[in-house]
Amino acid sequence: MKTMRDTGLLFRRSLTELLRNPVSLAVSFSTPVLYLALFTPLLNHLPGAPGLPRGSVLGLFLPGILSLLAFATGIARGFGTVFELRAGVIERFRVTPASRLAILAGPILAAMAMMFAADVVLVAVGAAFGFRPRWTGLLVLAVLLALLMAIMAAFSIAIALATKDIISFAAIVNGVNLPVLLLAGVLLPISLGPLWLRVLAHFNPLYYLVEASRALTAGTFGDPAVWQAFAVLAPLCAITLGWATRVFRHAVA
Amino acid sequence: MDHVITTAGLRKSFPARGGRVEAVRGVSIDVGRGEIFGFLGPNGAGKTTTLRMLTTLLPIGVGTATVAGRDVARQPGQVRARIGYVSQLGGADELATGRENLVLQGRLYGAALPETRRRADELAALLDLSEFAGRPVKTYSGGQRRRLDIALGIVHQPEVLFLDEPSTALDPQNRASLWEHVRSLRDHGTTVFLTTHYLEEADALCDRLVIIDHGQIVARGTPRDLKKQVAGDAVVLVLRDGDQAAGRGAELLRRQPYVRDLTAAGGQVRLYVDDGGAALPRLLRLLDGAQIAIRSVQLSEPTLDDVFLRKTGRRLRDTGQPPEGRAAA
Repeated sequence: MKTMRDTGLLFRRSLTELLRNPVSLAVSFSTPVLYLALFTPLLNHLPGAPGLPRGSVLGLFLPGILSLLAFATGIARGFGTVFELRAGVIERFRVTPASRLAILAGPILAAMAMMFAADVVLVAVGAAFGFRPRWTGLLVLAVLLALLMAIMAAFSIAIALATKDIISFAAIVNGVNLPVLLLAGVLLPISLGPLWLRVLAHFNPLYYLVEASRALTAGTFGDPAVWQAFAVLAPLCAITLGWATRVFRHAVA
Repeated sequence: MDHVITTAGLRKSFPARGGRVEAVRGVSIDVGRGEIFGFLGPNGAGKTTTLRMLTTLLPIGVGTATVAGRDVARQPGQVRARIGYVSQLGGADELATGRENLVLQGRLYGAALPETRRRADELAALLDLSEFAGRPVKTYSGGQRRRLDIALGIVHQPEVLFLDEPSTALDPQNRASLWEHVRSLRDHGTTVFLTTHYLEEADALCDRLVIIDHGQIVARGTPRDLKKQVAGDAVVLVLRDGDQAAGRGAELLRRQPYVRDLTAAGGQVRLYVDDGGAALPRLLRLLDGAQIAIRSVQLSEPTLDDVFLRKTGRRLRDTGQPPEGRAAA
């Protein structure tokens, strides 16, 4: 009850901060659309090529971009944490009786709200160019996007709290970015790769989201990728949030 | 006396290259209700670390601490509800207005919205912020910001207010106004615990203080009592011919029975005497007789710096280490 109330207060605070920053606002809406605009033309000849399913380019890649956006929004959260740590904001909250989980969850949920707003724009633009998803599938996908975003955000915030400085934090985030993105099949399906790559991909949470996102938008709810994504992401989300809360309680000196 | 803060044998060490660094080494204090209590010491002395343990921000290493009647290690939530804390950084949201900051802070302490709004206006008036309360914090001057930070720290009317280096980066005028505000808080019943490395601040503001160095308390008492311990006036003789002359002069003056705690460095001789006015002519005559030329003379009543010098062998003003940063804290 108290956690909910505190989360609501801190959610509103973070969202207001995000909305008051015109640059971040513009970028968070333009980036996904740019991805769509710049990448799709490259891929027009790909569907139906060896290793790739048939279907529209947008049907194949737009879910991937939604997944990518969830990943990127989440992992960028720690930048804000490093800043707030340096500015004394986090300390100011920590010394109040506010719920520790709420102090973490408020900013995560605010970034998530912004992400969904960008998702809506992306899907609307996609629809204008012929993207025809199954709408119920899209709603189920929203749950998975939220889970992955929260996982990456909790991970990112925990790293930010542990490193406390922007250079080390950015180095770790960049180091994580590339392998996770490559091994997820965000832009190109992983099924194109050799066996070892496909095995390795199963250790990547983003991979499950990307696979499920294609199945869900296509409306094939029975695809094993869907339940597998829930089975991997839901517990992982609980674990990373618990871990981040722990780091928050103890490691911030 | 009714104690609001009690600590016994507080210790804290941090991992560092080649072992552990002991930041706080056995700090025991009692702070009475309604007093301004100071922690005076150089940067890196362990002031901030102690403060962070008392405010639940840092786990206590060894020892016990009770704040506002609650055990800090076992009842951190209850301690948080009863204390206010203003860090060196402040930490107000820059894009939000002063009033928005105050309202959120009050809400985080569990107050209802109408009550918090009323309290925010009250605090803005109390700390002379009403005029800017509706403006974004990033437009505030240093002094205005500091007053907002303090308002944020007392939004829930805490029993104890912790201030970490409250006047850092303030100009003298703002510093004086800050002191007035702190005194008025004390006069309204709030206990104030502050850390400072400014001698003048400790002297002017604190009812009682401890001097801390290398994580240990080296002296405690009221500013007046501490200065009385040094007993006497400080005399500084600046000699024309530098260190060599200072060495000779030091040797000569040290032999005088009424001269105490003499130190010589950088072409200066510093010493203490019971009655500076009476001793000065004799000192000058002695140096003159030994043909040691004097450039200037200062006579001053003892300061807390003299107390620090007496207890540690160093001057607080000279401990020019980098500021106590987050890593050292």
